[in-house]
Amino acid sequence: MGEPVLSLRDVCKTFGALRASDAVSLDLREGEIHALIGPNGAGKSTLIAQIAGSLRPDSGSIHFEGRDVTHLGPSARARLGLGRSFQISAVVPDFTVAQNILLAVQAQAGRSYGMWRRAARLGAEQVADCAERVGLVDRLGIAASDIAHGERRRLEIAMALAMRPKAFILDEPMAGMGVEGVSVMTDLLGPLRHQAPILLVEHDMQAVFALADRISVLVYGRIIATGSVADIRNDPEVRRAYLGEEA
Amino acid sequence: MMAEKHLNWLIAGLLLAIPVGAWLLGEIYTVTLATRVVVLALAGVGLNLALGSGGLISLGHAAFFGVGGYAMGILASHAQSYQPLMDWPFLIEGTKSMPVIWLVAMISGALSALAIGALSLRTSGVYFIMITLAFGQMFYYFAISWPAYGGEDGLSIYVRNGFPGLNTLQPIQFFGLCYVLLIAALLVCARINASPFGLALNAVRQSAQRVETVGLSPRRLRLTAFVISGAITALAGALFADLSRFVSPTMFSWQMSGEIMVFVILGGVGRLYGPVIGAALFIMLEHWLGGVSDYWQLFLGVLLLGVVLFARGGLIGALARREAGHG
Amino acid sequence: MTMILLIEQVLNGLQFGVMLFVMAAGLTLVFGVMGLINLAHGSLYMVGAFAAATVAGLTGSFLLALAASLAAAAAAGALVEIVVIRRLYARDHLDQVLATFALILIFSEGTRWLFGSFPLFLDVPSWLSGPVELPGGILYPAYRLAIIGVGLAVAVGLWALITRTRMGIRIRAGESDREMIAALGVDISKLYTVVFALGAGLAGLAGALVGAIQSVQVGMGEPVLILAFVVIVIGGIGSIKGALVASLLVGLTDTLGGVLLPSLFAQVMERSSAMLVGSSLASMLIYILMAVVLVVRPSGLYGVRS
Repeated sequence: MGEPVLSLRDVCKTFGALRASDAVSLDLREGEIHALIGPNGAGKSTLIAQIAGSLRPDSGSIHFEGRDVTHLGPSARARLGLGRSFQISAVVPDFTVAQNILLAVQAQAGRSYGMWRRAARLGAEQVADCAERVGLVDRLGIAASDIAHGERRRLEIAMALAMRPKAFILDEPMAGMGVEGVSVMTDLLGPLRHQAPILLVEHDMQAVFALADRISVLVYGRIIATGSVADIRNDPEVRRAYLGEEA
Repeated sequence: MMAEKHLNWLIAGLLLAIPVGAWLLGEIYTVTLATRVVVLALAGVGLNLALGSGGLISLGHAAFFGVGGYAMGILASHAQSYQPLMDWPFLIEGTKSMPVIWLVAMISGALSALAIGALSLRTSGVYFIMITLAFGQMFYYFAISWPAYGGEDGLSIYVRNGFPGLNTLQPIQFFGLCYVLLIAALLVCARINASPFGLALNAVRQSAQRVETVGLSPRRLRLTAFVISGAITALAGALFADLSRFVSPTMFSWQMSGEIMVFVILGGVGRLYGPVIGAALFIMLEHWLGGVSDYWQLFLGVLLLGVVLFARGGLIGALARREAGHG
Repeated sequence: MTMILLIEQVLNGLQFGVMLFVMAAGLTLVFGVMGLINLAHGSLYMVGAFAAATVAGLTGSFLLALAASLAAAAAAGALVEIVVIRRLYARDHLDQVLATFALILIFSEGTRWLFGSFPLFLDVPSWLSGPVELPGGILYPAYRLAIIGVGLAVAVGLWALITRTRMGIRIRAGESDREMIAALGVDISKLYTVVFALGAGLAGLAGALVGAIQSVQVGMGEPVLILAFVVIVIGGIGSIKGALVASLLVGLTDTLGGVLLPSLFAQVMERSSAMLVGSSLASMLIYILMAVVLVVRPSGLYGVRS
């Protein structure tokens, strides 16, 4: 098994009086889907931001593939293989689906400063490949702002795939999707864990229980429990924290 | 509504046909006017790369225009007075050869853009706008206070610089030279926009966060675009100085920065030929409206306001079809 | 450089600085509350100066002229806000820049049309035209002291407005969350018009005050506008305190630099080169200061954003 792909040790982040992350320790192992759940305001977004590199922790460390990345910015971490999708879709709106994926493909290939040859010709095959894996092949020529919400979420997955990541950080990929969309996404994400482990932040409990190998529960910035689906379902503290949530 | 590509050819064609036709009819003034359009368009093409493709609202692009102009002014004035720029540690003499001047202008423009960009791009949004404006002003005040090259009064270059094989004093030949440079610059920009760099740059303009996620540095991409943009606008400055045979600090002024941005906006920001049609429109307004009223800039202001509030795509936006995706 | 001369220059720097503050405060307020960058602020400065010159010419009263400058600029500001500016709040910065640049053209050419290209004269009132004796036997123009006084009064007034009044609370709330205060029923449109007019009035006042010691002409506002931008960059956008500190810093740097740098260089090089290098460098000093601040603190000394 060896080292976890991603590990957080005692990560702390405070905003004034608010302790958004309170000695969070977490790891992501090869081949797993590790879900991060917690009630609203638990500090999931802050934690994700620190993992992705857009926020620097006050203390603690983050290791990715054995390297200390605590002081690296988001683009450096992306280059090391950290793939990410956003809670609010961050795709390039005026670009077509193909161009969005191409952006990731050419960045991964290190070609982004080439100024002479036509971008579209240089990555067409990989673009088609990634699009196929998320089921967007027939939407390649449509502008990203014109595709459906669910398709946009899948586009982000395609872009993450194009990066050939060593780990995925997915922030609420099911957000805003109906039953069918969630089902499509679940089928998509399941097999992905064998390509690279996934840290999945999600609210949709059905999807979480269907996909997760392990679950960590974040409440008021603290991880109160980590374990298998069964462990978490039966944990009394988790049930208490999740008043009103169906578990 | 026509395809943008066809509109571009039409513009390029008219831009060549009209002055050539005028020359054949003996109307030299039109040729000079057309040369002005071409040179100002080139300045706008430079800005358009930073602004239209990169989303960088640079209100100090006149800094590069002036740098190019003064590169020409300094080199040519030393040549015409037979005094070298520098004796020690290297002997640097002046020159009146256009290709050399253009190269020096472009390198100076690129270096200035690198310096200004490295500082300004540490910020974004309104800060960037204000800082670029401020740096432009800095160059302006410096040029005014440096008497060696005319200070506030500027510097006259009595004879137009030379280009091998051409008689540059002939308006139509000088026009032809500038026209070729403009078309070359447009081809280069088109190439850049279709390239991987162009894709990444246009992505940064719309979503810097997304660009970071694919492992690129938005700042580096923007700086690269800014430097190329500075070089192109500086070349335009050198040509402008040659056209007027005069260099002055007003080339650095905020009014000049504003004007260059106006050409780009009137034509359609981000559109390849936007600056060309914008510059043409501006010069036509200056010529015709200016003939009618001394206060023609008031109408320009109203027009600009109208375009910004109601016709965002500029002239090309109004005339050409919009295609999905970029470039 | 004698002590007396130095103190005189420091006072000049302060005077320059407080006027910059009055300009910058309006700008930063508008940006902080409405998120709008306004290039036409310099035009409002000019409007104030022209209004003052006209009224002073007609009535001979400087105080009436000042009142006119405030009123005219505020009115112009309110008009512009209602007709143009309010369409820009939802737009991106490029549109705001272009539209307000268009306003500069309209104001400048319009003023030139009405008043011609020659500068107007606004005289320092006779009751302020003499020198005042300061401790230490230094004689300093009363008018310039008055300007410093007015500037500081504006600073205090703004502070009181923002921290002690209902309007101030709305302004501060608006700065942190625009959508929220609309949801809370505050009349946003009116608030914005008032804030804009306030900024405009201040600009006009500055224009009138400075117009008496320089001249009143078309285009007088833009160089000051650009300096106000430098102040905001250094001080941090949205921060009135930052604007005050930065404007005094800029005012002193510019004034003292212009006087001290040539003498400084004269120590190491011969006189004429020293004058040359010194004054050229002095002209760039403020911008160099801005560049240094940018390197050390990209969002300004008291910047609110990080």
